[in-house]
Amino acid sequence: MTESLLLTSWWVPFYGLAGAVLTLPWATVGVRSGGPRPAAYFNMLMTVLALVHGLTLLPAVWGRLPLQLEYTWLETQGMRLALELEVSPVTIGAVVVIAFLSLCAQIYALGYMEKDWALARFFALLGFFEGAICGLAMSNNLLLSYALLEMLTLSTYLLVGFWYAQPLVVTAARDAFLTKRVGDLLLLMGVVVLANLAPSLNFQDLAIWAETANLSPLSATLLGLALIAGPIGKCAQIPLHFWLDEAMEGPNPASIMRNSLVVACGAYVLIKMQPVLALSPWVLGALLVVGTATAIGASCVALAQIDIKRALSHSTSAYLGLVFVAVGLEQNEVALLLLLTHAVAKALLFMSVGAVILITSTQDVTEMGGLWSRLPATTTAFVVGGAASVSLLPLGTFWASIYASERLWPWAPWAIGVLLLVNGLTALNLTRVYCRVFLGPRQAKTRRAPEIAWPMSVPMLSLSIINILSPVILHELGLLTSVEGPVPTWVFGGSLVASSLAGCLVGWWITHEKLPTAWVHASFAQTWRVAHDFLAYDLYIERFYRQTIVVWVAGTSSLMAKFDRHLVDGVVNMIGVATIAGGEGLKRSAPGQAQAYLLTILLGVIVVCAYQLTTMLR
Amino acid sequence: MVMYDQKVSSHPLGRVILRMEAGGALLPDGSDNLMEVVGVLKSYGVVLDAYWRNLLYIADRQFLVFFPFFKYFNGKVSLPKLLDHWAHQRINYEFSEYCMKAMLWHGAAKLDAYLDSPAFAERAGRAIRAKIKFNPAAGLLHRLFPDFLPEWARQSCYYSVLGQFWRVMSPMFLVLSDRYDRGEIRSIPDVVAHIKDGLVAAANLPLTYAVDIRGERYELIPTEADLHFLMDAAVPYVEAVFFRSFPFMGTVSYNAQAGQISENQADFNYGALYADPLPIGGSGIPPTLLMQDMKQHLPEYLREYYLGSLRGEEDMRVQICVSFQKSMFCVTTAAILGLAPYPIDTDRPDQQRANRAYLENWMDRLMHSRLPAFN
Amino acid sequence: MLSLLVWLPILGAAVVGFWPAGAPAVWPRRIALSVASVGLALSAVLAFLYNPADGGLQFREFVPWMTSLGLSYELGIDGLSLPLLLLNAFLVWIAIFSSDENVQRPRLYYGLLLLLCGGVVGAFATQNALLFFLFYELELIPLYLLIAIWGGPRRNYAATKFLLYTAISGIMILAAFFGLAGLAGIANYSYETLAVHNLPLATQFLLLGAVLVAFGIKIPLVPFHTWLPDAHVEASTPVSLLLAGVLLKLGTYGLLRFGLGFFPEAWSAAAPWLASWAVVSVLYGCMTAIAQKDMKKMVAYSSIGHMGYILLAAAAATPLSLLGAVAQMVSHGLISGLLFLLVGVVYKKTGTRDIDVLCGLLAPERGLPFIGSLMILAVMASAGIPSMVGFVAEFIIFRASYAVFPVQTLLCILGTGLTAVYLLILINRAFFGRLPAQFANLPQVRWSERLPGLAIALLVVFLGLQPQWLVRWSEATTAALVAGRPALAGALPAQAERIDTVAVRRAHTP
Repeated sequence: MTESLLLTSWWVPFYGLAGAVLTLPWATVGVRSGGPRPAAYFNMLMTVLALVHGLTLLPAVWGRLPLQLEYTWLETQGMRLALELEVSPVTIGAVVVIAFLSLCAQIYALGYMEKDWALARFFALLGFFEGAICGLAMSNNLLLSYALLEMLTLSTYLLVGFWYAQPLVVTAARDAFLTKRVGDLLLLMGVVVLANLAPSLNFQDLAIWAETANLSPLSATLLGLALIAGPIGKCAQIPLHFWLDEAMEGPNPASIMRNSLVVACGAYVLIKMQPVLALSPWVLGALLVVGTATAIGASCVALAQIDIKRALSHSTSAYLGLVFVAVGLEQNEVALLLLLTHAVAKALLFMSVGAVILITSTQDVTEMGGLWSRLPATTTAFVVGGAASVSLLPLGTFWASIYASERLWPWAPWAIGVLLLVNGLTALNLTRVYCRVFLGPRQAKTRRAPEIAWPMSVPMLSLSIINILSPVILHELGLLTSVEGPVPTWVFGGSLVASSLAGCLVGWWITHEKLPTAWVHASFAQTWRVAHDFLAYDLYIERFYRQTIVVWVAGTSSLMAKFDRHLVDGVVNMIGVATIAGGEGLKRSAPGQAQAYLLTILLGVIVVCAYQLTTMLR
Repeated sequence: MVMYDQKVSSHPLGRVILRMEAGGALLPDGSDNLMEVVGVLKSYGVVLDAYWRNLLYIADRQFLVFFPFFKYFNGKVSLPKLLDHWAHQRINYEFSEYCMKAMLWHGAAKLDAYLDSPAFAERAGRAIRAKIKFNPAAGLLHRLFPDFLPEWARQSCYYSVLGQFWRVMSPMFLVLSDRYDRGEIRSIPDVVAHIKDGLVAAANLPLTYAVDIRGERYELIPTEADLHFLMDAAVPYVEAVFFRSFPFMGTVSYNAQAGQISENQADFNYGALYADPLPIGGSGIPPTLLMQDMKQHLPEYLREYYLGSLRGEEDMRVQICVSFQKSMFCVTTAAILGLAPYPIDTDRPDQQRANRAYLENWMDRLMHSRLPAFN
Repeated sequence: MLSLLVWLPILGAAVVGFWPAGAPAVWPRRIALSVASVGLALSAVLAFLYNPADGGLQFREFVPWMTSLGLSYELGIDGLSLPLLLLNAFLVWIAIFSSDENVQRPRLYYGLLLLLCGGVVGAFATQNALLFFLFYELELIPLYLLIAIWGGPRRNYAATKFLLYTAISGIMILAAFFGLAGLAGIANYSYETLAVHNLPLATQFLLLGAVLVAFGIKIPLVPFHTWLPDAHVEASTPVSLLLAGVLLKLGTYGLLRFGLGFFPEAWSAAAPWLASWAVVSVLYGCMTAIAQKDMKKMVAYSSIGHMGYILLAAAAATPLSLLGAVAQMVSHGLISGLLFLLVGVVYKKTGTRDIDVLCGLLAPERGLPFIGSLMILAVMASAGIPSMVGFVAEFIIFRASYAVFPVQTLLCILGTGLTAVYLLILINRAFFGRLPAQFANLPQVRWSERLPGLAIALLVVFLGLQPQWLVRWSEATTAALVAGRPALAGALPAQAERIDTVAVRRAHTP
């Protein structure tokens, strides 16, 4: 019974895909009679099925050895490409989280997008998204993971480009695709190399191979760097991070998925590839550098944002930076736990933010204020989500951070410093946003703010409850184990809470006290502005790329096009003109050219005959 | 001193001004225009009829209901209706709520002043207390978030006001269509006159709102609030829906750093008179819902007119939108004429001058609307 | 069976061509479509009867003809030609179906299309080098006329250029065949006899050079490519579709059949240079495509880039890489055919192909949403997104070629990234954004205009999900092709280890 149940686990990723495919008629051409909602309901039904299936599988896999499912996709000339899935508590647990968050996002979208006639396309894309993410969670093969990452890149492009008639969406979708593609391309190079070096691309086989692999340090490093490029792009890490900021142009329900699940996908693949990456200390070092730089850099960038979605999206990059640090220190459990708690908390924050946007019709935090007393669900969601993403109350991230501190301390005490700093800065940022949006005086755009309808508030409240119960859930699942170390656990907990409190206080202070900004303005006006703009415009990274890579590619390509047109083609034309210089008459009309051509054939035939005659005579 | 010449206007839309002074409308007269306008107003009338019934149902019967699952059913839930609802074979009431939210968010001056007054707070407080009397959870919520339910009550008031406004407009358009069918409406100015007369006739209808809670009646907008149809519903509606509205997510970026949306709501020009009809049917364009609803109720002659176009059925919603905008310019004409300082056919030069200034003021506002495209 | 496949279209061409002029204009189209349908059905039967396990020739036919010249009527197919025959039958059907119903001079037009089809089938199915040459030339005349009569404003220029180039290509082919036969003293031009010779390496190089130039023009490879963008831009949509989808494959087919098949030693020796040539072609094609404003030109340059992968695979010449080459031929045939088809619809409806002018075509009511959706799919397939056929072919090629030419392979992978760049520019400019007023009144797209694209798109996705269907025909043949050759790949593993460090470094530094 259990066996046969487990053997059905490969269905799970297909629910979302099936929903997407079957609703294509609504999504592309539109169905003439009636509206697009049946497509939305069907996709939701499919997600419910995925969730139920995942929940039935969970007890079946609990405590068992991982089960490998495998399907030979292409086998030819000694090359075997298989689609392999792993059914283990971790993967099925991930699938349940994915399906649940996806369902929340879809119910939410039913409210958020209720006036959008392209609802079917949106839900089809969400279904595709969900299917690909579920597949990625279960994938046990690097090639399959790569393929799914690429499909995620595609669906991100389409989801960000959902409002394709909006100019900034167009550039955002393009940048999201190309940035991720740069990472994916390097990853593909890594996959191609590995496919030639390793016996198979199965993750377990790769791990076994890596133990005995005899690679030169240089090739191991280059291989590892190529492999981490994909996750760097996917997880919006410096220097491929700016797409996430731009991707906030997309619809908010997609932002919920993107900031919680999609970014996590990259890190998940990274964790799976970790044995290969460990071949080179330089690669692990690179992970630490990238992760630390992003964690601190993105936390600072978030502080300078006035757009409510962007203020939160940068903190997503920051948390993924912490995950990178954990993987760099070979602490995969830490990375997974951080991913989980972050996903659940960030999804809730983004739900709250979407409600605020819908109610106030603006995303500018400086235009908001005084919302709290009128919006119970939205305010609760923000407070709970915020508390769960920093280590203030004993909610998810608090425990995950303690778990992380205990395990990172023996390897890299400095990482605790990074963790504290990011935690403090995030607390500061969230408090700043909270004070601006929910407290303070009402402004013109927040003058009338009735709470949103149930399709949005129900998922918000459910997820709030999950977040509040997160310590219990984590404990029940046995994920909160403690390790004995030289530093007692309460020290970590205390310093985490202290850093959060400090952040909150500063956040409260800068929004309520005019003094600091005024004082700073007066003293360091110039420096302040430069620093602020530097952060507000995302470290100018986009501008940097625009003026380096984009200019270079555009310049080279137009140079080559000119070269092609004038030199290559010109020379050819000159030769052509020279050869048929006498036959200008032949060139004038089509029949003339046909004659010229027939002449050529005739000449050819004559040559044949002549040649044959000579050989025969000889 | 500038000479006033009745026959010339230096305004870029001078032609329109002269036409209006001569008794015309914003929209040029013509049989095609007339047919489109009347036909589309006919289907609009049918749709509005469904809209106002539902708005009033929500305002009256779904007052402070936390989970209004069946709010679009007007109290008649049956299996066939539910199946139709799920199959999306229904009127898109979401659009009427969208218009209500536009009014709520942009505000109707006098109504807002009343809703912020202690008088309303007292009345709403009583209704809310009655409503949550046997619901301790809601009571707790009310205590934790004291402005939550009052704000919802204010929203209910807007539901009701918009419903009352459309309750007058819907039959007005249907009668217009009947008169057109009988041959009584022969030109665009006739349409304008019909609407203007209708507006004037209803101008002083009082706006009131009361809810029944467990058999007891709670007045939320009493007659003492002194709110009337024309100035407190029609004019704010035109301002909020025709002119300002919300930026469409499908065409305008909400990104705060990009600064595409003005921080001043008075600068908003995303309303029905301004919107580009071409993206209709696309993603992030809410008026598509209205066009879809009207498409289901087009009079036969108009449907055939559309089918005869280049793309026929395929782009019908865009064509409906164009016709709808034409008809809304007729409604706007009626409003402009109704609010003019002096009768438009006055003979006194000083009154003419005042009217001219008034019209030019309007034309300034309409410069970037779809009006130039129709002239 | 094969003869039927070859002569049926030619016969059809004669029927259409001599159809009474007074008869309704729909008849030529109907006849052509029926002939193409029968051809498609026959090809399907052929595929059904074909034994994929046998790598040798099947369905052989032999009729002695001018034996004194070494020219016999010899037909036969193996795993290299069968997929291309299937592709050809499918795309010819699509091309005829998507031809303008009110085309000028329909009898001539459809007659030429069928003649073209016959020539291509003949070239793929023949087993005699001289006969190949005749079919190769036979296919030129109709194509030339199709461009010169039904082309765009500069059709004469483009057609003449095409003619000159391909005539040179033909002469080089002929010269190579004569040279081979003459120098090796073979009097029979059958492939089997030609392949067995022991010419010195230097002579082989000379002849291989001729073959490379000849087919390098046809494929086309940089710098012999400049006829292609002009020909594509001027040709009408169905002709572009056939040109990109099928006719370019004659070049790669010839390269494998004659270059690799006849001169294996020289090929092995030249392989590193060929691989580098492939890199130049790929990057050159991609970079030049980025700067193009004309959608058709962009897709044409993208063809140059994508055909470069085939040269890379051919250079590596392992069983797997050759399989990848065949897969890429089919994949490129389908995807570029689809792209040209869609660009054609856009051009027909909007009157322009300039991506600086086009905008917002995804608009659902007044734009071209269905065509736009298919275009997104085609673009993603071309950029090598998994789940579509482009990825399968490219991955096989990269996977196999890396073992032999790591540096070149990694550089070619860069090409797929660049492909994404320009095709994304195309989508973003032409299909995203607001539909401007100048395109507010585009004519309706009929279902008959959507169906061909939809059919190709479904095939692209199907083969992408079930690649076994793509490769099963050719496995045995590609293995046989390199079986008797010096093991280039076998010698390498030790070397590969050394090279890959360099390779990876190079890939990262740009």
